[in-house]
Amino acid sequence: MPSEGMVTAPPASLEVSRDPDATLRVRLAGTWRLETETPSPAEVEAELSRGNVSRVSVDASGVSSWDSALVVFLARLVAACRARSTPIERAGLPTGLQRLLDLVQDSATLEGRAEGRPAFLEQIGERSLLLLGRAKDTNGFVGSTTLALARFALRRARYRSADLGLLVQGAGPEALPIVALVNFLVGIILAFVGITQLRRFGAEHYIADIVGIAVVRDMAALITGVVLAGRSGAAYAAQIATMQVTQEVDALRTLGISPVEFLVVPRVVALTLMMPFLTLFADAMGVLGGAAVGTTMMHQALAAYLRQTAASVTSGDIAGGLLKGATYGSLVAFAGTLRGMQAERSSERVGEAATQAVVSGIVLIIAACGVYQYVFFLFGW
Amino acid sequence: MVNVAEDVISARGLTMAFGDRVVMSELNFTIRRGEVYVVMGGSGSGKSTLLRHLLGLQEPAQGEILYGKTSFTRASPPEREEMLRRVGVLYQSAALWTSMTLAENVALPLQQFTRLSPPRVRDVVELKLALVGLLGFEEFYPWELSGGMQKRAGLARAIALDPEILFIDEPSASLDPPTGRHLDRLILQLQRALGTTVVVVTHDVASILAIGTRALYLDGESKRAIAEGPPAELRERGPPQVRAFFGQGEAVH
Repeated sequence: MPSEGMVTAPPASLEVSRDPDATLRVRLAGTWRLETETPSPAEVEAELSRGNVSRVSVDASGVSSWDSALVVFLARLVAACRARSTPIERAGLPTGLQRLLDLVQDSATLEGRAEGRPAFLEQIGERSLLLLGRAKDTNGFVGSTTLALARFALRRARYRSADLGLLVQGAGPEALPIVALVNFLVGIILAFVGITQLRRFGAEHYIADIVGIAVVRDMAALITGVVLAGRSGAAYAAQIATMQVTQEVDALRTLGISPVEFLVVPRVVALTLMMPFLTLFADAMGVLGGAAVGTTMMHQALAAYLRQTAASVTSGDIAGGLLKGATYGSLVAFAGTLRGMQAERSSERVGEAATQAVVSGIVLIIAACGVYQYVFFLFGW
Repeated sequence: MVNVAEDVISARGLTMAFGDRVVMSELNFTIRRGEVYVVMGGSGSGKSTLLRHLLGLQEPAQGEILYGKTSFTRASPPEREEMLRRVGVLYQSAALWTSMTLAENVALPLQQFTRLSPPRVRDVVELKLALVGLLGFEEFYPWELSGGMQKRAGLARAIALDPEILFIDEPSASLDPPTGRHLDRLILQLQRALGTTVVVVTHDVASILAIGTRALYLDGESKRAIAEGPPAELRERGPPQVRAFFGQGEAVH
């Protein structure tokens, strides 16, 4: 905006006076800029409210420099005059300023005023409906995913096998290092807890049995599931949510490709397929972690430790662990893709979807673990 | 006392490249205060790359860019920031922050770069939104608006700090023609009212003719700027490529 004369800036001033013919004269002078203190239009508005004003005349010839501050002031004044149907004379204003004021008036009526925000109770209602809708969504998602998985099994689903390959690679082999590390450490932790407790009964030589059974039956699958929830589940949610933002999901849908078949099924299949392998690998790492403690703290021979583990762990234990692993894998993939598909078209929702995917993935895993314990207990497995 | 011939931005022997692949070489042009300067050309001719160079998002392979009389290319990062403080940008996709309401989008530059009190910030936000015809939409989120309204909101954010120079990338992209024309009119009105220098990057012929004071044509084939001047003149008497770009001369079948 034009700013002339940057010598010593005189402060903004406002002078209101009445002529005998009931004209309200508003005289503006000085520097009307945002960074300086400027008078408020309240004084003029008060004068207008006192009534007996036939017209308002604005004189800004004394203004040496201005920006949005002056436009804000004048726009408020114009609006106040219009509300009281008092004519306002602004011929004395710079052309640029008049154009701006015209623009404010024109465009304010352009779109019509938007309706306001809903009230508090309305917001509660909307929120409840939203949650109800979410629950319905989830139901529908379970259904359509099941159907799409059936089509996948019948080799009638639309997806790219290259995508599936990449997903399998990402969920399986690329997760090996972190799965190895975490499960090795869990094996060590279990062994330490076991030794300190068993020592009280002089039974610390059963450490291989305890670590072996705990790892193989439950811990390996559980811990690997949690790792994958943070790793793959969050990634799936973020990928799909981003695709919602960029309308890639819409593009699939309009092309007649079901996003569930194209995006959800490959991810569920990849994780469900890879989890048993990862669990088996995690079994070995957990046992090795226990062995590390057994050999160093208990001075057992490694071969003896492993033989003892092999004697205590049955193939049924291993199979049960792998079954749990597969279940956790499908739950994690399910939670991730569901949160991604539910995301709205906003970049903020991408992060939210990823967070929710991890949280609901872990909750689902733990819940499933509880159910398995009970069922296995009932059947004496 | 507006000096019409005052140079706002100039490029001297500017060559833009991605690694070894040269996009445009030897660009020389000067943008004057108060004009609407259009950078035009076909897709892939380097228009948007030029814009990124002018904003310092990419570095020239050769040559330099001047803001006023100061070199932008050789300026230190804090100096550049200072120069860019006088600049507003409307991005092609509006690039509104989706986690913020329209009011918050427009208020952010004001809160970050001025010391205005919250009520004054609100006043200015309302003014800027009123200028683009979005008064009453303060509490709306960007995704609740149509594409045209998002562009206008982006414009309100771009002019929040009363910039001297306004960069606009593809104003009419992904808008229907009437909405695009409406935005053109709005840009022109704002430019006249605020006296802002506007730099527009576009390939929309109607838009160029409607708002451009002068235009620069980037030719993707020769990788050079081959014409500069008032758009209507270029359409009638420009080089054949430029006339073809405007839909004049021999038609392509």
